[in-house]
Amino acid sequence: MAAPNSNDAANAGASGTAPAGEEDTSIEALARRVQEHMTLANNPAARRHKFWETQPVGQFRDAADTSLPDGAIEPPTPLSEVRADPYPLPAAFEWLTCDLDDDALLADLYSLLAHNYVEDDENMFRFNYSPAFLRWALKPPSFFRAWHIGVRAKESKKLVAFISGVPARIRARDDVVRMAEINFLCVHKKLRSKRLAPVLIREVTRRVHQENIWQAAYTAGVVLPTPITTCRYWHRSLNPKKLIDVGFSRLGPRMTMSRTVRLYKLPDAPLTPGFRRMELRDVAAVTRLLRAYLAKFVVAPDFDEVDVEHWLLPQEDVVDSYLVESPETHEVTDFCSFYTLPSSVLNNATYATLKAAYSYYNVSTKTPLQQLMNDALIVAKQKNYDVFNALDVMENESFLKELKFGPGDGQLHYYLYNYRIRNGIKPSELGLVLL
Amino acid sequence: MAGDWQELGQTAAIGLIFAFLVAKLISTVIAFKEHNLRITRSPPASPTAASSSPPRPDTPAPPQPSRGDDVSSDSDWEGVESTELDEEFSAASAFVAASAASGTSVPEEAQLRLYGLYKIATEGPCTAPQPSALKLKARAKWNAWHKLGAMPTEEAMQEYITIVHELFPNWDAGSSMKRKDEDSMASASGSKGPMGPVFSSLMYEEDEGNESELGDIHVLAREGATDDILKHLAAGEDVNVRDTEGRTPLHWAVDRGHLSAVEVLAKANADLNAKDNEGQTALHYAVVCEREDIAELLVKHHADLQIKDEDGNTARELCPSSWSFMNQAN
Repeated sequence: MAAPNSNDAANAGASGTAPAGEEDTSIEALARRVQEHMTLANNPAARRHKFWETQPVGQFRDAADTSLPDGAIEPPTPLSEVRADPYPLPAAFEWLTCDLDDDALLADLYSLLAHNYVEDDENMFRFNYSPAFLRWALKPPSFFRAWHIGVRAKESKKLVAFISGVPARIRARDDVVRMAEINFLCVHKKLRSKRLAPVLIREVTRRVHQENIWQAAYTAGVVLPTPITTCRYWHRSLNPKKLIDVGFSRLGPRMTMSRTVRLYKLPDAPLTPGFRRMELRDVAAVTRLLRAYLAKFVVAPDFDEVDVEHWLLPQEDVVDSYLVESPETHEVTDFCSFYTLPSSVLNNATYATLKAAYSYYNVSTKTPLQQLMNDALIVAKQKNYDVFNALDVMENESFLKELKFGPGDGQLHYYLYNYRIRNGIKPSELGLVLL
Repeated sequence: MAGDWQELGQTAAIGLIFAFLVAKLISTVIAFKEHNLRITRSPPASPTAASSSPPRPDTPAPPQPSRGDDVSSDSDWEGVESTELDEEFSAASAFVAASAASGTSVPEEAQLRLYGLYKIATEGPCTAPQPSALKLKARAKWNAWHKLGAMPTEEAMQEYITIVHELFPNWDAGSSMKRKDEDSMASASGSKGPMGPVFSSLMYEEDEGNESELGDIHVLAREGATDDILKHLAAGEDVNVRDTEGRTPLHWAVDRGHLSAVEVLAKANADLNAKDNEGQTALHYAVVCEREDIAELLVKHHADLQIKDEDGNTARELCPSSWSFMNQAN
């Protein structure tokens, strides 16, 4: 990989040695490029991505080239050629492979993320993944500890940055590929100008390669080269008064709180007969349902029973799964799930936390999907969630408007690393939810 | 002269890449000063701080005023964080480069001053040979740089920022937007990280395609503008006037939770039992919106708890069981 840092050094050297005011064509060319970058900042497709242009990802310039085949962009390199040593960090920092079974370290990671991870544009909310959630998200079957990568300050030993990967089998069209799901890239707020993110990404890539895995899946709120699809978040108010009070939603000048509260009112208990919480004994049935359903989508995880037991068996305040067991035949016919991701409410005197449920995997064969999801809303409301969020992936669009979800301001772009899917896919062709 | 300005912007943009390295150098210099100060000023917090070994370029650090809700102590940041001045300078020069690129015009004198300061901040004192007197532009730029002599880097950054503030008073108003537009891979300073999930909130306000029309006094009640409500009432306005949904000013004051406005309206003999077009009284609103203090006030003023709305519910039936005043009354 061509490291952006070496480019930086070359650029810096060039501008440093040029006499003031001299017309130097190479500098001019460089200046033009930098200027293009600045002026085209609002046109994502035309922006330059110094780092990503060196990576095996779909490039914007190739978008129109239909001759490029789907599949790996680069063949695997021999393992002996994978760089053996970690990438160098700025002198004050060191790598730390994180042991998430260590409660103290998990607490450090929780705190790094709780104070420095993703916020909304107005800095009113910040994701607050719970320690139990982090363990669940980062320790799936056959996880690699080496992929839980921390950076700490040498002196204070304080954890200041993190990135992670977990292994997954993801199917793209007919091709089941071993991939890494990359997530939880976080750099402490005080270090944002240190350019740590690129080195974290290179390091996790190196460690993924060391396991002979050459593809990855990740999401971002920003447009990079090149999304396989772009999804939108939708939100269903469960506790509208609180959502309005904390600024998650707003009340129109002619709308009353009273009517809004009544608009989102839900029954006290699920309506579908046989709707119940998933248990360990359901793993086989749920796996069958899920495998059959996910086969419909162009890109989706390839779950087996071990995966289902990890990712979908309910864990309090981490992941919730419900199913419909036919009262007559006792057959499991439908399934729905959501994960729990609270956010800190920043600067609000009354509320500290917003409790959000995120739609995960849902399968309907007998119960209409809309009715199934309405029951999911009802149990989420019973469990005191404030809002139920869903992406417009899979068949979700079929129930969003009907169940009073409103569109969100957040777009989520999905990416594959070193895997091309020509022309991309529609959100409804995506069967993958990353946490 | 516009072309020249653009060229200056380009130079600034190239230098931006360089600014990071310089910023690190500066923080080391400041750190060195602070480090020494701290040793004399306060008892050392740790054996490392006590040692008087010469500071390595990467370890000593300025204690920074802690911002936000971070709980860590400042000493954790020894040698690792960038200063606010670095960041502001870097943002200001990016802004100048961007506005130059978009053709914004700036007086030539200011352009040259910014150029000189930028060169000092990023490269230090001018050591380049003087360009030929025939190259007017180049000579003017060289002069602008050269005449600043050995001005300290921080001073140059500070003055640069000051000039940008004078030229474009609102340049940093949308700084979070600008940051997001930077190369997202190189900089993770925006609220959205370079990769990972996204926080989304509802795009549209709640209004349900609402076409209701409000009178002035309804709006005042909605906003809790107690004094103005009193003025309208003194001018003879009906305290029970309805909007198109049958709501009185009292409904609106209760709905938005303005206790003092509710009090004023109650004292002005507003009809506490007025129903909106859906049969709900102000007390229904207070219950549905969980405004306990207001509900208690209405009950104290003898609002009727037995009135049923269109769905057949009384306020008492809808209210949380913990509201004991709703059960004692009547």
